[in-house]
Amino acid sequence: MVEGYRFKKLKEILFEQDRRAREELQSKLIEIEKGVNTREGMEARVNPILEDKVTFLQQNFPTLFGPAVTQAIKREIKESQDEVVEALYPIIGKMVKKYIVKEMELLSERIDRQLDLAFSWEGWLRRIKGWFGGVSEKDIITQQLMEPTLEEIFVIQQNSGLLIGSYSKNNTIDQDMIAGMLTAIKAFVQDAFSRGGEDLEMIEYETYKLIIRNFKSFYITAVISGPVNMEFKNELDQQILNFAEQVLKQEGQIREDKMKGHLEHWFS
Amino acid sequence: MDITKKVVLIGKFGVGKTSLVQRFVHQKFSDEYLTTIGVKIDKKIVEINGKKLSMLIWDIAGESSHQKIPSSYKLGAQGIFYVFDLTRPSTFGDMSVELNELENILSGVPIKIVGNKKDLISPESFDALRKQLSPNILYCSAKTGENVEKAFYELGTEMLA
Repeated sequence: MVEGYRFKKLKEILFEQDRRAREELQSKLIEIEKGVNTREGMEARVNPILEDKVTFLQQNFPTLFGPAVTQAIKREIKESQDEVVEALYPIIGKMVKKYIVKEMELLSERIDRQLDLAFSWEGWLRRIKGWFGGVSEKDIITQQLMEPTLEEIFVIQQNSGLLIGSYSKNNTIDQDMIAGMLTAIKAFVQDAFSRGGEDLEMIEYETYKLIIRNFKSFYITAVISGPVNMEFKNELDQQILNFAEQVLKQEGQIREDKMKGHLEHWFS
Repeated sequence: MDITKKVVLIGKFGVGKTSLVQRFVHQKFSDEYLTTIGVKIDKKIVEINGKKLSMLIWDIAGESSHQKIPSSYKLGAQGIFYVFDLTRPSTFGDMSVELNELENILSGVPIKIVGNKKDLISPESFDALRKQLSPNILYCSAKTGENVEKAFYELGTEMLA
C-alpha cells in the first residue's frame, strides 16, 4: 500500500511536466474543436479573412478583372448583335420619340405665338410678304422659327493665328487657342488641297457652321448655329465686308482694345 | 493689357518638344492634334519685368518620312525654340543649315536653341558636347524639369525686348 503510494508520488514528480503539457494540449484541442465544429466559432475565425479578401477584391476589381470583363462584354456584344439591337431598340426608340415629341411641342408653342400675332402689324406684314413673294404664310413662319444665330465671331491675323478681336454670346474655351487652332486647320487644309489661291471658306460641325472670310492680313470667322440659308449667308457676307471696310481699313493699324466694342456693335 | 506672341517649337522627330511644353504648360488640347494635323497649340501666361506675356506655343511635329508638315505653321512666329536631342547627334548635325533656313523665313525673330534630354547623358559626354557646340545653347531636361522654365522665360524676355 505504502509502496503503491510512493510509486504514484514518484510518477507525479517524474511526469509532472508531461502532465501539464498534455493538459495544455487538451485544452487547446477543445478550443480548436469548438472553433471548427460550431458555426459561430468557424465564422469568428474565417469572417475577418474573408472580409479582408472581399475588400481587396472590391478595391482592385477594375485592375484585376477589368480587361477580362471588357473583353468578355465585347465578345458577347459582337457575337450577339441581333440580341443587343433587340434589347436596345425599345429604349433608344423611346428616347428618340420623347425628344421628337418635346421638340414638336416647342415648335407648336412657337407657331401658336406667331399665330397669336396674326392681326398684329408683324402678322399683316408677313401676309403681304407672302402674297407678293408667292410663299405661303406657313412657310414664312417656319422660316422665321428656324432662323440661324450668330454665336461667335473672331477676327484673326493671317499666318500667325493671333486673335485680333472676338465677340461671343456665350463664353467658350480660350479664344486665343481657338484662333490658333483654326489657323492651323486652315493652313493644313489649304496646304493639302489648295490648287493655288484657294482658301478654306467653311467648316461644318454638327449643327454649327464656321463661315470663314479671308482678307489680306486677317480673316474673319463667324460661328453660326441653326440652318444657314442663302439669304442669311449673303447678309452675313455683306456685314463682314462692311465691317472689314469701315472698321478695319479705316483704322489702319488695328486697335485690339477697340475691336470687341466694334464687333459687338456690328454683329450683336 | 496682355501682350500675345506666337512661339513655335521646331526640331526633329522625337527630340522631346512636346515633353518640354508639357513641363511648362497645363495642356488643354489633346496631343492627338499633333498626329492628325501636325501641330498642337498651348497657351501660357508669364509675367516678365512686370508685363504679362501670353505665349501661344505652336508645337510643330518633327517631320518624318511619311508625314510632311505645312511650312505655313511657322509663319508669323515671334519667337522660336529650336530643340535637339543631346543623345542623338543626327538631331543637331545640320543645325546651322536649319537655323539659316529659319532666319530666311522669319528674319530677326529671337531663337532659343535648346539641347534636351540632359538627364540621359553622362557628365563627361555632356562636357565634351558642350565644348563642341555653340555657347548660346541652353541645356535642359523635360524629364527632370531642369532649365525648362528658364528657357521659356529667356525667350519671353527676348521677345519683349
